[in-house]
Amino acid sequence: MRALPATHAIARNTVREALRSRLLYTLVFFAVLLIGSSALLATLSYVERERILQDIGLSAIRLMGAIIAVFVGVGLIHREVERRTVYTILSKPVSRTAFVVGKFAGLAATLWLMVGIMGLAFAAVSLVSGAPLGWGHLAALALTCVELALLVAVATLFSSFTTPTLASAFSLGVYLLGHLVRDLRDLGAASDSELAERVTAGLYLVLPDLEAFDLVIPAVHGLAIPPGEVAMGALYGFGYAALVLVLAAFVFERRDLR
Amino acid sequence: MGVDSEIVRLEGVTKEFPLGFGRRRRVLHGIGFSVRRGEIFGFVGPNGAGKTTTLKILLGLIHPTSGSARVLGHDVRETEFRRHIGFLPENPTFYDYLSGGEFLDFYGRLSGLERSERRRRVEMVLEWVGLTHARELRLRAYSKGMLQRLGIAQALIGDPQVVFLDEPMSGLDPIGRKEVRDLILRLRAEGKTVFMNTHILPDVELLCDRVAILVEGRLRYLGSAEGVLADAEQEADLVVTGLPPELGERLAARFPTRAEGTGERLELRVPRKDVGSVLAEVLRDGGEVISVAPQRASLESIFLSAVAGGKAAGGKA
Repeated sequence: MRALPATHAIARNTVREALRSRLLYTLVFFAVLLIGSSALLATLSYVERERILQDIGLSAIRLMGAIIAVFVGVGLIHREVERRTVYTILSKPVSRTAFVVGKFAGLAATLWLMVGIMGLAFAAVSLVSGAPLGWGHLAALALTCVELALLVAVATLFSSFTTPTLASAFSLGVYLLGHLVRDLRDLGAASDSELAERVTAGLYLVLPDLEAFDLVIPAVHGLAIPPGEVAMGALYGFGYAALVLVLAAFVFERRDLR
Repeated sequence: MGVDSEIVRLEGVTKEFPLGFGRRRRVLHGIGFSVRRGEIFGFVGPNGAGKTTTLKILLGLIHPTSGSARVLGHDVRETEFRRHIGFLPENPTFYDYLSGGEFLDFYGRLSGLERSERRRRVEMVLEWVGLTHARELRLRAYSKGMLQRLGIAQALIGDPQVVFLDEPMSGLDPIGRKEVRDLILRLRAEGKTVFMNTHILPDVELLCDRVAILVEGRLRYLGSAEGVLADAEQEADLVVTGLPPELGERLAARFPTRAEGTGERLELRVPRKDVGSVLAEVLRDGGEVISVAPQRASLESIFLSAVAGGKAAGGKA
């Protein structure tokens, strides 16, 4: 199968580009700093210090990951077109779908690597502060990785047909709505208006439910997290990301690269 | 001419770009031509003529509105045949965080080369373009000329049958241009077909076997390079001195296009057919010839003469 080596080469190059850019290191540095300072912030409280520390730490990883996913993701394809590197890549036996998937996979892999680094910083701070660590924390980080892959797919879709500025606006909109869509659906279901119920149910179907990937509270409070729940979350996230990528490839396939 | 020897074939290709609000702008008006195996084909025209659009159609980067485009016998929308083509875009910018060797290895992977073959080809093309010494150097430290040569190396990494070059001399100094010219000639010597977009006439003269001239999205000439360049040298600038005043005045009146005289010295632009008779007249009356410089017409005037001369392309080349 020819597409796989090309996709792999493009993903590898995307990771290499990220690893050789200063922006990423700056962001990871701040994330690690934030995780470290969570120990300091937790001392301000008299109760549940370990939980506050871990809440801040895991939330910082999610937020920082989401920021990078959106702001690097929106330039992913646009930048290649802008600097005309896409012309030489597509003049090789590389399909546009392989290109889109390779760019997506490269950024997703970079983000997972970063979540790994930030996760290690989180574990170190937890151990030093005597906060418990367990399966729940690992599960929370794993679903964070799924959420980030989904966000990269969304940013890639917008990057495949519009400018980074517009793509940022769209992606941030999806990110915010994605976190609200579950509450909106519940509000709609509870309302008397049939229209409101239909609209919010429709939105819930179309937009990604990003709350499905939020295991921070149960992890921090040591609640039971069944592996099946994590697996379902991963299935939902990867399935959604795959659909978005199919759409991105479809759009990019038809585009004139002027 | 057999279809097998046709490397590129365009038939009735039109391209329209949307302008918004349902309006469209047509940039290619049904162009058609073919490129033969082993030739250097010059695709010539002023800026904005549609050369790059045509090239991008051949590479599948832009989809034609109508008509058909085939390269090596394949529809350009296919992917696999591209392992046999190479492309250098105009003013290429590459991944400046990569070294020359990493960059070519990346393109070797994209071309589907196995590891051992890739290593061999990277070494070979680096040597070809004279960049072996810059193998480990990051591209951000490359000069413009080095980048252009590396771009050609990238186009050649998969050992293509046909190489597409978009304004390959653009932005290069005279030494860089000479190097790229030599590389292109070497490609032909290796049996490769070269399709070159250019608007630089001396390059056409030095390199191309055949030429297509595109003006405002329409093909205006298709044929040998000599044919079009012969039309280009239609005038000569003469500088003469020591003329009797009345002869100077007579010549200036006869060839007023560009007659400048200071004292006995006269500069004239004369049609090529009249050069002999004017020189004879000058020498007969005791004048001295300082210089005779054939003047090449501008591309635009060549386009005009190509049209006026009824050389508009049609049928098969």
